[in-house]
Amino acid sequence: MLVDLPGGWSPLLGRLAWSQIPYANPILAPLFVAVVIGAIILLGLITYYGKWTYLWKEWLTTVDHKKLGVMYIIIGLVMLFRGFIDGLMIRTQQVWAVGPHSTGVFGSLHGYLTPFHFGQVYSAHGLIMILLAATPLLVGFMNIIVPIQVGARDMAYPYLNALGLWITAAAAALIMISLFVGDFAHNGWFEYAPIFELQYSPGVGVDYWIWTLQLVALGTTLGGINILATVIKMRAPGMTWGKLPIFVWASLSANVIALTSFPALQVALALVAADRYLGAHFFTAGMGGNLMLYTNLFWIWGHPEVYFVILPAFGMMSEIFPTFSEKPLFGYITMVLASMAIAGVSWLVWLHHFFTMGAGPYVNTAFSVATMLVGIPTGVKVFNWAFTMYRGRLTFNAAMLWAIGALFLLLIGGMTGMMLAIPAINYMVHNSVFVVAHFHSMLLVIVYAIFGSVLYWFPKVFGFKLDEFWAKTMFWLFSAGTALVFVPMYMLGFMGMTRRLEYVFNTSWQSYLDVMELGIVVYTLSVLAFFILLYVSIRDHAKNRVGADAWGTSRSLEWMTHSPVPFYNFAVLPHVNERDELAWRRQHGIDQVRPAHYDDIHMPNNTGVAIIMGGLTFVLGFALTWRIWWLCIVSLLAIILLMIIRSFKGDPGYIITGAELQRMEEEAYRREAQIADSHHSHPVSGGVVGNAMAYQRNDSSK
Amino acid sequence: MSAHASTVDPKKAELWDTHHHSHDVISTRTLGYFLYLLSDGMLFATLFAAYGVLSYQHSYFGGPTPAEFVKPWYTFAQTIALFLSVLAYGFGMNALKHKNKSGLINGMLAAFVLGVVFLVLDIHDMSHLYSMGITIASSGGMSAFMVLTQVHATHIFFGLIWILVMIAQVMTKGFTEETVGRLLTLRMFWHLQAVIWVFVYIFVYLWGYIS
Amino acid sequence: MEIKWRNWLKNGWRAVALAPVLLLSGCAGNTYWIFDPKGIMAKTNLFYMIVDVVIMGAIVGLTALLVVWFMWRYKKGKNRGKYDPHWSHSNTIEVFVWGIPIIAVGFLSYFAVKGTFEINPYNPTVITHHMKPNGDPVEVDVIATDWQWLFVYPQYHMAVANELVLPVHTPVFFRLTSSAVTTTFFIPQLVGMIDVMPGMRTKNALMSDHVGEYQGIASDFAGAGTSWMTFKTKMVSAGDFSQWVQQVQKAPGSMTYASFNRFAQPYIDVHHHVVYFSAVEPGLFDHVMAEVMRGKTWPLPPMMTENMVEYMQKQAAEHRD
Ligand code: HEM
Ligand SMILES: [Cu+2]
Ligand SMILES: [Cu+2]
Repeated sequence: MLVDLPGGWSPLLGRLAWSQIPYANPILAPLFVAVVIGAIILLGLITYYGKWTYLWKEWLTTVDHKKLGVMYIIIGLVMLFRGFIDGLMIRTQQVWAVGPHSTGVFGSLHGYLTPFHFGQVYSAHGLIMILLAATPLLVGFMNIIVPIQVGARDMAYPYLNALGLWITAAAAALIMISLFVGDFAHNGWFEYAPIFELQYSPGVGVDYWIWTLQLVALGTTLGGINILATVIKMRAPGMTWGKLPIFVWASLSANVIALTSFPALQVALALVAADRYLGAHFFTAGMGGNLMLYTNLFWIWGHPEVYFVILPAFGMMSEIFPTFSEKPLFGYITMVLASMAIAGVSWLVWLHHFFTMGAGPYVNTAFSVATMLVGIPTGVKVFNWAFTMYRGRLTFNAAMLWAIGALFLLLIGGMTGMMLAIPAINYMVHNSVFVVAHFHSMLLVIVYAIFGSVLYWFPKVFGFKLDEFWAKTMFWLFSAGTALVFVPMYMLGFMGMTRRLEYVFNTSWQSYLDVMELGIVVYTLSVLAFFILLYVSIRDHAKNRVGADAWGTSRSLEWMTHSPVPFYNFAVLPHVNERDELAWRRQHGIDQVRPAHYDDIHMPNNTGVAIIMGGLTFVLGFALTWRIWWLCIVSLLAIILLMIIRSFKGDPGYIITGAELQRMEEEAYRREAQIADSHHSHPVSGGVVGNAMAYQRNDSSK
Repeated sequence: MSAHASTVDPKKAELWDTHHHSHDVISTRTLGYFLYLLSDGMLFATLFAAYGVLSYQHSYFGGPTPAEFVKPWYTFAQTIALFLSVLAYGFGMNALKHKNKSGLINGMLAAFVLGVVFLVLDIHDMSHLYSMGITIASSGGMSAFMVLTQVHATHIFFGLIWILVMIAQVMTKGFTEETVGRLLTLRMFWHLQAVIWVFVYIFVYLWGYIS
Repeated sequence: MEIKWRNWLKNGWRAVALAPVLLLSGCAGNTYWIFDPKGIMAKTNLFYMIVDVVIMGAIVGLTALLVVWFMWRYKKGKNRGKYDPHWSHSNTIEVFVWGIPIIAVGFLSYFAVKGTFEINPYNPTVITHHMKPNGDPVEVDVIATDWQWLFVYPQYHMAVANELVLPVHTPVFFRLTSSAVTTTFFIPQLVGMIDVMPGMRTKNALMSDHVGEYQGIASDFAGAGTSWMTFKTKMVSAGDFSQWVQQVQKAPGSMTYASFNRFAQPYIDVHHHVVYFSAVEPGLFDHVMAEVMRGKTWPLPPMMTENMVEYMQKQAAEHRD
């Protein structure tokens, strides 16, 4: 043992012991039972229907960017749900534990969560929402859309893409298992120095936090490299930089940020780990450490990170607005410049997260002005969306409503951001729920853009549209929830309520907390509406099937190939002539022209290596958390060995002949004609996402 | 006013990619690897920043400072070993140009041996410090010193494994698109580590020795 | 059926939009601490907030109106505005689109710089420039522990735990440090936040002309006891202040480094004990800082982080009356 650990340690199990399983906890124990039962039912169902081979061949070993993207989105939605439950728990604790006379249960003095448990809940909430909900959701959309929009058959590195997904999944699994084995960190999603040191956080919570984040950082870096290389190297012929769809530009700028900023996080975490595991003194208060170094390193990553998540959301909005305004995006060049400017300036503002740390007025004003500079390109974007609607022909379907909601939230978040950017104001509202309301406005921009995109691109990926009525119901419920939770939160900020209170010491805040609780209930209804939306849409999917150009007014390449997109994306790669290629072809009546003949194409093989690697990184993370050294060594060796083996084997890929392609394309065209014919004829086969394996099975039976 | 008047005549426009052009596997691969190295460079930049913050007099907290134990000549020997290793790798890559398999393998072997020399010197240095009671836990300054130098050494360690793997691959597979691509990316990796070592040598060892 | 649903939703939405307004008027009795400053520092902060909100609010409000107007005018099928399927660029609009934010940021930058100097915690010009020559500033050394506040009055060789009493019309200068972990010192109606860090010293200052009692908060998360780490700040007249000083100086307790070491043991101050110490070891503040820099910590027992249930029950038994 390298440091003095409070509590026991054994060579075999590390710090793991029965006492670390919270079987006596009145909240976690029933949850655990429910999860186990749910898992058994799920696994039973898969076995019963004999879906294991399908699952393994079509999903778990796939390298198809669309399926990987769908799995990213599923992880994101599951984690969004988990994060939402955390949010509900936070609100419930705060509405309950107000004033000295409030009751307490489950051993808590006030409310139902002890301070330590409450801390875990909000720390997990923040980390999950930003890094394991928003990020995978956005990465998922980039994965699905970017290659098709640039006219490629896959990402530049399909295997790496799968690896990124499974490492992200490992991170999600690690934070989920912290619910039932040990505890999670309790000092906030960004932690503080020196409270994360072993003396002040003796448990494994901070260690879970470190390795979860490290895995996310690794996965995101791999994903970022892939997207950048795809955009640089895989563009269809004729697609010059000036013709790049705006979502691709947004993804590009976001991933430039990711690639350059995540290393700062990785270093910050590694140094925290050095402190906690090796007894180093990077961030300790004494022995020559420097705790402010941590805060700086974290936010040097942290601020670019928030732009990493908002830029793709801006890109999504920039796709939705033109489609439902039926005209091109206003100020394409400006939009691109604004994205790049945001990406650049986002590097120079990190100190605004700790104006109160006591840097001199010269430093503070420099960062204050830099921060406000970010507001300029952000403002430009809002204006450009507005002028995209100007002289348009607006359809307010659900996707458009989400985009418009995002625009208004951006106005609010931008306004409050500009307030926080001024130190003289910041000193009053920093660390208060005002800041919480600010960044929730901003992060909700992302959530709104994501739900808009789910509606917008769902037909492309699955071949049928989602139900409009339930989508709108969900939108209005969600927006009502947003207003009910965050308007009072801003007001509480002005009343001086600070953040992260397990016990609310001022009783006059009660009524506002009540309203917020009501808002959370309304949010819950919107979650319900989402489930109904999925159910109804899948039930009626035969009725809502669509052809290639699902909305009829979209402008970019992905709408030129079939829905669902075949696993090879394009049988023949399109030649790009204009910025909005599809709109241009439609305008000139040549959008139905088919390629004259088909060549052989080359596709990558599936591989089980990626998911095994994901599993191993999970084991490694778990072993590190619990300090089970032998398991660390074993899993690390296994990872290295697997990499070497994979590198020896390589992937020759396989060839689809032109004739075979033609057969599949004709089949797809026939299906599309059927949809156009009537929506009520016999349901058409074809399942979700064009199936590579189905193709190969056909092939062998021939 | 419209954004950009159509410049392409839709009647004559080429709509589908008819001249089947394949992607250049090697350049795609090296681009990706370059991007990874970019993030690796950022990682070291951050570590250097941390070292900069933690190398003031008070960061050593009255304990040992690099000035007390750094032997510039010892580290200079490491520098020479690493540079010769890069040079040997260069000779190997030169052999690759002439499709000379044994030349490449000899160059790689030499690069490997010299890399091992570098690493052994580093490990010896660290165990010497340890025997003097200087560890990562001595002070904030020493933590930064140790982590920066040993993160670099870890990169070298993995590079050495990679060199071995590539020797084996070239022996079994010869020069395929895959192996050549990997040889090129490994060269980029090895060069970057040498460049970073120069910074480590100057800013950590020499500067630490002087101040 | 669907129609009904929709109507219901629409009306519901209206009610929701009204709710905040009702809240504002219905709960007017509540104090918006930030809008009701009682000290010159907090007042200055409010001034800049108003400036910012006016400038930004004008732009954001107009933009919102513009968007709503476009939404109304260009709705498909209504034919209110002309549809131009190709219009996507205008140099004039571009100039405004970039120009307006640039000008706004320019304005705000001026105020940002000015304000930062005025309330600079190390040398707030709003206080130092208005200091009366005979105004005898009061000095307070603030030491945060897990999870209590110790206020040392070096001029009077005394200290008080968890309560701050200060004279009005007098500049007050704080030096702040922490024993264990980082937190933030904040009195919403008097002075903005400043971080309090172990092994380091920060400063702040305040001045108030209003007698009264104001809430002080540890506004940065510092562990399990943060929510209870609050303190009352009493602004009193000069006469009352000297009387209070005499009262404290008669108290039995004294504060040396040894007793501080005990005081700083982790303790959740559920009932806000106020303790007076009539004597304080000179230079206690620097002594604590030096010890921390030498590596002194006050570790938390796992029972106060991992499984608080036990601890909270103990606390409940001790304190609930
Ligand atoms: C107009 C642009 C923006 C400005 C001027 C701005 C300004 C600020 C400032 C000054 C803070 C520090 C508040 C404090 O702790 O005292 C802050 C916090 C934050 N902002 Fe923004 N912001 C902007 C946009 C965004 C965007 C686009 C996002 C992300 C989606 C975002 C997410 C956050 C988050 C997550 C925090 C706080 C993190 C925490 O303390 O937990 N902001 N913002
Ligand atoms: Cu939240
Ligand atoms: Cu920021």
